[in-house]
Amino acid sequence: MQALAASVAVVLAGLAVLWQATDGGQALTAERARRLTALRDMPAVPEVVLETMTGTPLPLGGPTKRATLVEFIYTTCPTICQAAGAEMARLADDVRAAGLDESVRLVSISFDPGRDDPDALNAYGEGHGADGALWTVARPDPDDLPALLATFGVVVIPDRWGGFTHNTALHVVDAGGRLRAIVDYDDPAAALTALHGVVQ
Amino acid sequence: MTTTTGAMLPEAAYGPQEGAVKLTMLLGGVVFLLMMIFGLIMRAAQGGMIAVDPALFYQIMTAHGAGMVGTAGLTGAAILWYFTGRHVPLLAGVYWAFLGLFLLGVVCILAAIFLGGYAGAWTFLYPLPALSGGLWGPGASVLFLLGYVSIGVGFLLLHLEVMRRLMARYGGIGGALAWPLAFGKGRPEDAPPPAVVAAMASSVFNTLGIVVGAAVLVASIVNLLVPGFAVDALLAKNMIFFFGHVFINASIYMAVIAVYEILPEYLGKPWKTTRIFAIAWTVVLVFVLAVYPHHLLQDVPMPGWALAMGQIVSYFSGIPLIAVTAFSLIVYLRAADMRWDMAAALLVLGVAGWSVGSVPAILDGMIVVNKVMHNTQWVPGHFHIYLLLGEVAMAFGFMAWLVRRPLAADARPGAARLSGLDHGVFMAYVAGGAGFVLMFLVSGALSVPRRWAVHVPDWFLQDRLATLFAAMVIGAALIIVLRYTAVLARRAE
Amino acid sequence: MTLPRLSLAAALIAAAWVFRAPLEADPVTHILVQLPLLALAGALLPGARGTGGAWNRGGWAMILTAIFAMAFWMLPRSIDAAVSDPAVAASKFLSLPLLVGLPLRLGWPRAHPLLRGFLKAQALAMLGVLAFLYTHAPVRLCNAYLAEDQVRLGTGFLATALALAVLWVAPLLGAQGAAAPARRHRSVS
Ligand code: HEM
Ligand SMILES: [Cu+2]
Repeated sequence: MQALAASVAVVLAGLAVLWQATDGGQALTAERARRLTALRDMPAVPEVVLETMTGTPLPLGGPTKRATLVEFIYTTCPTICQAAGAEMARLADDVRAAGLDESVRLVSISFDPGRDDPDALNAYGEGHGADGALWTVARPDPDDLPALLATFGVVVIPDRWGGFTHNTALHVVDAGGRLRAIVDYDDPAAALTALHGVVQ
Repeated sequence: MTTTTGAMLPEAAYGPQEGAVKLTMLLGGVVFLLMMIFGLIMRAAQGGMIAVDPALFYQIMTAHGAGMVGTAGLTGAAILWYFTGRHVPLLAGVYWAFLGLFLLGVVCILAAIFLGGYAGAWTFLYPLPALSGGLWGPGASVLFLLGYVSIGVGFLLLHLEVMRRLMARYGGIGGALAWPLAFGKGRPEDAPPPAVVAAMASSVFNTLGIVVGAAVLVASIVNLLVPGFAVDALLAKNMIFFFGHVFINASIYMAVIAVYEILPEYLGKPWKTTRIFAIAWTVVLVFVLAVYPHHLLQDVPMPGWALAMGQIVSYFSGIPLIAVTAFSLIVYLRAADMRWDMAAALLVLGVAGWSVGSVPAILDGMIVVNKVMHNTQWVPGHFHIYLLLGEVAMAFGFMAWLVRRPLAADARPGAARLSGLDHGVFMAYVAGGAGFVLMFLVSGALSVPRRWAVHVPDWFLQDRLATLFAAMVIGAALIIVLRYTAVLARRAE
Repeated sequence: MTLPRLSLAAALIAAAWVFRAPLEADPVTHILVQLPLLALAGALLPGARGTGGAWNRGGWAMILTAIFAMAFWMLPRSIDAAVSDPAVAASKFLSLPLLVGLPLRLGWPRAHPLLRGFLKAQALAMLGVLAFLYTHAPVRLCNAYLAEDQVRLGTGFLATALALAVLWVAPLLGAQGAAAPARRHRSVS
């Protein structure tokens, strides 16, 4: 009897812990978890100033005129970041077609500011058709980088080829500077829906 | 402080559990009948005698396959439990848990098929459960697979209990498998009885199959819930074949125990564990253990010859055992003055069907290389021989034995022959069964594909004859099951 | 008797801590070396008094504790957090010895032989499933590790399953196998 009670207690406690640890069974991976956090907690993005591909300063975080769609890349990436650039170009077209270009801006942020100087950013931007107005490519101050990555939940690890492996996604930040949604980098439709949700 | 949990249980918890086993066989008999009727419907539909919507046909086929294989396993396990209980004490609760989990699994499977519309065949070959063309949802597939998991857990418990007791009593797995004798060190007098060897071998075998099966089942469930996890089709196929092949073979190997334990009563002398016998069982085990894991490790696409080799080897691995069993039986039968009754006749038929069934299997194994027969009705042809005329005959024989007339009444050797009605029923079962499987083999030889709901008129002749033969089998089976039920009911009063 | 075991446990935990950077750099050593080391350390700890009480009959409560703790550490996000969040890292060094290793030692010998057999079979099947998941996942499951490392980890799970299968089955083959469980029981009483 005592043994049964103890076992039931363990099961209940165990289930409660697992429930808690998986956000109610919804997130088994860190990637899912950060997406849930964005939807649920809307964390505030640190107020930093980026340097764009044209060398001009660009404030991120805090109240802004437009909602921001953020993507993290590094320009020497031979794989995902090139695909991500192509997807971003498509998304820019979709944003214009949806008439959102007055209320939304797209920013590709490099997490490799040491190597990605404005020239490199510019090359990447031109290569993929970033116009500098609706869509620009930028880099943060190296000191701001850790806080930025931590807030967005982006993890960058060196691959064995001198480059990086990173969790690529589209991050929607509303005009109040809060992270509201994270969707797959190759899912512009979902990004557009999320943007619609935060601009009105 | 107490010592072991087992030792704390009162001795009364042990016993051969006659009641539970009889109930199981009643359930098994009824399900066999039902599934045979499903088979009849399929055969009649293929013969164009009745119209069955193809969607329904595949639901029926799924139910027939899963139901028959499951029930073969169930009746085999009941036989295993009953006769192992003669040699070692077994924990009664384990059997009830087994039965409960089995029935739970059956409920899940039936609901998945007839409420959820699942019709991806009993082999749940990836990616069929996920590709229903809108006929059924992933929920139905998951439910179907969960039903298998439940049944698998039940079997696992049962086999663990059997192995544990046999290991303790006969000195490890090797002792229970009569390895000292097999390797020429022990004396036949010290070897465990045939039932123990068979019980140990089939339990080891099936446990391994279940562990592999559980892994592939859970993997398939994950794939259904998160389609991104693409199962490696080849690997999944191997694992499923391994699991299915082992399970169905184990059901026969368990059922043979009834032959080893019951026929001596009729022969008047015990069935002995000989050196050859011990070697034959070990060969089966070693082949299954050694050949398949090797297969599973190959992540690279397997060349055709490897698959063909695997099939041939796995078929051949059973041959020594079948040969030894059938050969000993012939020797025993010649020497003895048999007292035939329904039980004895069906058990002998079971051995014969098991042996004969292996012949087309070998042919299939060889012919598969040039891929002529492979997906034809030759395949259901061969397995219906060793199932319908093998495993099911043994199970029916066990049922007949459970409700036999006391032998003492006409104890004079050679006196009791099959009575008139018994004789007719038995002959109907044999002739109907033989005719039925023959039609499958003929169709196979004529390249009629298996698993086709609708046949072209050219194939109708065999289909219709098969339907007729199937009706004969069902008639005979009905009488066997009814008689069993009637005697049980009478004795219960 | 307790002192050497205690120091061995401490040494194992210390080793897992000191070498955590190289161990955690690769998911294979992180999950298949460091975590088992920590659990092993817990199994060496002396059991507190009272663990033989009625509440631990059949070992159920302790085994369930270990199962849930293992389930927690089987979540990819727990592994990610253990690398990125110092608080979770600390909880790893505490929970694996205290909630996995120690409970297993306190529960296992009391468990019914059937339960033990069932759990072993279950462990093999689960390792097989993990092997499948990690070799076939279409995405990275841990943000902290590379996709190719994930596949290696999957292969590692398979190897572990095979090794455990051999380890568990081999002793049962001969006659000694029959005596071994009985000996284990006696040591419990
Ligand atoms: C009167 C008895 C039976 C009849 C009329 C019957 C009929 C059939 C038919 C028509 C098929 C489909 C053949 C095809 O692929 O075209 C089939 C398949 C099958 N039968 Fe039977 N059967 C009988 C007994 C049994 C027994 C006793 C077992 C096993 C214990 C069994 C197991 C199976 C299995 C596993 C399949 C394969 C299903 C699949 O392809 O997914 N059958 N049977
Ligand atoms: Cu990249």
